[in-house]
Amino acid sequence: MLSFLLRRLMQTVPILVAVAGLIFVLFSVIPGSFESSLMDDGKSMIDEQTVQRIRKELGLDQPVAVRFVRYVGSLATLDLGTSFRTRQPVTTVIAERLWPTLKLALAATLFAVVLGIPLGFLAAMRPGTLIDSASMVVAVSGLSLPKFWLGLLLMYLFALTLGWLPSFGYGNGGISHLILPAIALGVSPLGLLARTTRAAVLDIMNADFVRTARSKGMSEVRVVRWHLARNALVIVLTTVGLQFGSVIGQAVVVEKLFAWPGLGSLLVDSVSLRDIPVVQGCILTLVLFFLVVNLVVDVLAALVDPRIRYT
Amino acid sequence: MKIRVNLWLGAVLFVTVVLAGILAPWLAHTDPVMDANLMNAETPPGAEFWFGTDAQGRDIYSRVLHGARISLTVGIVTQLINTVIGVALGMSAGYWGGWWDDVVSGLTNMMLAIPSLVFALAVMAILTPGLTSLLIALGLTNWSHTCRLSRAATLSVRNQGYIRAAQVLGFSDLHIMMREVLPNIAGPIIVIGTLGMGGAVLAEASLSFLGLGIRPPYPSWGSMLSDARDQITTAPWVSIFPGLAIFITVLGLNLLGDGLRDILDPQDRARRS
Amino acid sequence: MLKKLTLAAVLALMALPAEAQTPRPGGTIRFTAAYGSSFSSMDIHATNRTQDEIWAWAIHRRLYSWDTAQNKPVPELMTSVTPSAGGLVHTFKLLDNVYFHHGKKLSTDDVIWTFTRIMDGSKGFPGARYVRNIKGAVEVEKGQAKEIAGLKKIDDLTFEMTLTEKSDPGFMFMAGTTSIYPSDIGGNADYITKPSGLGPFKFVEHIPGSRLVGDKWEKYYKPGKPYADRIVISIMGEAAARDVAFRNKEIDVSILGPTQYVAYRADPELSKNILEVAEVFTRNMGMNPSFKPFADKRVRQAINHAIDTDLIIKRLVKDKAFRATGWLPLTSPAYDKSLQPYAFDQAKAKQLLVDAGYPDGFEFEWTATSNESWGIPIVEAVIPMLAKVGVKVKIKPVEGAVLAETIRKGDFQAYIWSNATGPDPLTAMKCYHSKTPQTACNYVKFANAEVDTLLDEAAATDDAAKRIELIKKANAIVYAEAPIWFFNYNKAVLAYQPWLKGLQANATELALQHYDEMWVDASSPAAK
Repeated sequence: MLSFLLRRLMQTVPILVAVAGLIFVLFSVIPGSFESSLMDDGKSMIDEQTVQRIRKELGLDQPVAVRFVRYVGSLATLDLGTSFRTRQPVTTVIAERLWPTLKLALAATLFAVVLGIPLGFLAAMRPGTLIDSASMVVAVSGLSLPKFWLGLLLMYLFALTLGWLPSFGYGNGGISHLILPAIALGVSPLGLLARTTRAAVLDIMNADFVRTARSKGMSEVRVVRWHLARNALVIVLTTVGLQFGSVIGQAVVVEKLFAWPGLGSLLVDSVSLRDIPVVQGCILTLVLFFLVVNLVVDVLAALVDPRIRYT
Repeated sequence: MKIRVNLWLGAVLFVTVVLAGILAPWLAHTDPVMDANLMNAETPPGAEFWFGTDAQGRDIYSRVLHGARISLTVGIVTQLINTVIGVALGMSAGYWGGWWDDVVSGLTNMMLAIPSLVFALAVMAILTPGLTSLLIALGLTNWSHTCRLSRAATLSVRNQGYIRAAQVLGFSDLHIMMREVLPNIAGPIIVIGTLGMGGAVLAEASLSFLGLGIRPPYPSWGSMLSDARDQITTAPWVSIFPGLAIFITVLGLNLLGDGLRDILDPQDRARRS
Repeated sequence: MLKKLTLAAVLALMALPAEAQTPRPGGTIRFTAAYGSSFSSMDIHATNRTQDEIWAWAIHRRLYSWDTAQNKPVPELMTSVTPSAGGLVHTFKLLDNVYFHHGKKLSTDDVIWTFTRIMDGSKGFPGARYVRNIKGAVEVEKGQAKEIAGLKKIDDLTFEMTLTEKSDPGFMFMAGTTSIYPSDIGGNADYITKPSGLGPFKFVEHIPGSRLVGDKWEKYYKPGKPYADRIVISIMGEAAARDVAFRNKEIDVSILGPTQYVAYRADPELSKNILEVAEVFTRNMGMNPSFKPFADKRVRQAINHAIDTDLIIKRLVKDKAFRATGWLPLTSPAYDKSLQPYAFDQAKAKQLLVDAGYPDGFEFEWTATSNESWGIPIVEAVIPMLAKVGVKVKIKPVEGAVLAETIRKGDFQAYIWSNATGPDPLTAMKCYHSKTPQTACNYVKFANAEVDTLLDEAAATDDAAKRIELIKKANAIVYAEAPIWFFNYNKAVLAYQPWLKGLQANATELALQHYDEMWVDASSPAAK
């Protein structure tokens, strides 16, 4: 197990460098630049002299290769550079958004797990029937509804009409502001989780060893409890982990709608403003986060199911 | 008795949407771009305009039909590209193993780690917005899931008797992969394919929402939805119908995928044992 | 006729004096910043965006500020400013009771430090374009001098500013990017995250992407102000979300888009508290003369005749704009009422195209963003109109940053944009001087000798009335030459809760309000 962990951690580094390189190259050839983003509201064109000074200050007058080498070098010292927009270190800019992001991701995943897994179970118990389809329709609805719509609907219903919850903002970090964005974000993973649970449970139910257990005469209930649960757990756990890792990347629209100070909206805003260091920093953070979650999930899966052995 | 509701419902929905798209020029009432008469702007659904009109006075019914062509093209073609790339890489990685497997696995991990929307965004921002760019961007984004699946499935099939037999008999690797491995891993791949199509349709909607979708003024469901977001309270029909169209299509594809999985997997298991 | 009445009504709205009630001290003002989902920076020198001025007007002060009632910039922070006879030297005398939030008293050193910082050659501060008008500033920028020669300290509260050409310093130094900073912060990086300024509210917290909070500054130099104890500026870029929050009484103001404008006007309660003003922005379609058809004046005029502009304003923009009749907007002192809008006449347009040698029309590429008021939705409505006279349009969708870049580089055939055309009419009209580069604001490379002469004369003269006359003449010529499609002047609309008082119809930008003049009466949920 230890060597497996070490190997995975070592693989992380080249992946991060490769991602950094890929993003760097992509954003070097993108049209539009930081200085042009400062002029997009048509209020005042920045004159040529100031544009040149901005480029010089931000190091944009250097050739791409030089900038990339310098960037990778600074990565080694965990220095993600300075934001073009705020002139602060990128690590600070991202750190400010980290806790709200994690909160939202956790809340959304929790919502998805608490409602999605039982739903999938329900569907798997009666496969091919109307109950199955109905549950799946509910689940897939979550996947097919545009988050913008759903968010607005929730706002109208729970904030405006019923007045139970605030309609936007971070508040003082309390739960009441977290609920609506978490639901809007969690409905999609809920759908996915329900379907995955259904598929996993169905697979297991048809597997040999379950038939064997049944033929041995164990009661239905015990069959479900012991064998299904544990094996399905591995698959479901993997999916939950993957969803948690990717839900942050999906949170953009929800964050913008609810004025939630997360990484997703930071990423999209930075792309619009061509604040390249922050874009790269965000993507690297997301990638690292995803890889770590993947690793944790794999380890947990091995703990749950002793048949999984990593060499 | 199992009625396989999933399969049939999904198939019906999907086929309906496909037919609507194919027959759009005949089923539509107006030209989706040119018939923009501001005097009719934001008319509610009625006898003349079945789904109402949008802010520019265009018939939404006609635009939804024409939009089906774009959204379905994106869904189907993108997934095809994803599948081809994913299967080619994944199957070969699982079959040959070794350094090629390491390379493919590394590449797959990297692609899985980058948020797909971000990658597609970046690619779209470089290429000029348009249908071809969108197909390329989305086609390059999601192959990692298919790849991982193909690789895992190939790994589990690789050591089966009939594969060994074919190798001993002297068939080329390519032949074995195409004739023996592929049919046996086809099941889950088809399932992922149908589910992926739904994802592609939604991805197109998100990209249009962020302003990087297909080139206006030709309609796509995603761009129609995005344009209408400020009118949700005053003219809800402008966003309801494209939203419904997306919903029905993705729902159909997902139910179809689930239904296919139910059929294909048990048979697979039976064949393998 | 009805249109003239509405126009008069709107202009009258602007002239209304502030309500004659006694301001109530206390409570929280819950403002919103609607132009994005974040603030660029807590260092106001580094950004010129409107979104950032919204918070900067609470925390900082500049040498001048915009007086809505008089429609011109007036001195802030000083007892007097005296121009010399030549008009190039201005003597400023600062007030004696102004303090920064960290306790330091305002002195000349702070002003000099601020302007020297803005001219720092290693940084790209947008405010440099204003400070560059002070003699000796360019040398500092180039690194040839450490101090600005034209900024002379007379004593702690008096200084002399020498300009490079005759202009009103008010228009230059009312910009948020020239806010006065304290000279004792030096290299304190904390300053960028916790700014200390001269404004009515002192900085409390900034949650990036969410909100900024300020508490009343007790030592604010205007006695008795600010009235409110606290200000919370929430960043809310989505109009639909603002709508919900406003109706739910969670925020006190909301900038309205066209759709909400219709809804709020129709609502009996909400319609009572709407502030409208004709802003100094002109929406237009620029036509690049390097693209052959657009080099011909007849083609450009044909475009203006072929588009039913009034219908678009009425139906698509929902009357949230005024028909443009010239580059200078309604509220500009040099606005010419006598200019008639280009008539919607497709037959005439067709004839002009035939005369110009395009009987079968032509095709061009129109670069646009997805902005709902001056972007792709407008273009989509125009396409069928132009198609009727044979002109085909291909849309090139771009992001905001890309639009600015393509226009500066001249890399377009046509674009649609919203440009600031005020408050100073001369600066606005100078866009059409042939010496103005495309990177500055002459995007359509306009060159007309008569206009050049008129503008040069206007800059040279001291007679205010004569200057206005000359600018009007130049405006009329540009209008006839039709270098652009004259679309509309923006009507900014702000909805406010009935308990928020003291709002002003700021024509330069309605979202920018004088927070020290505002107060909250007892009916607010945040009245404590």
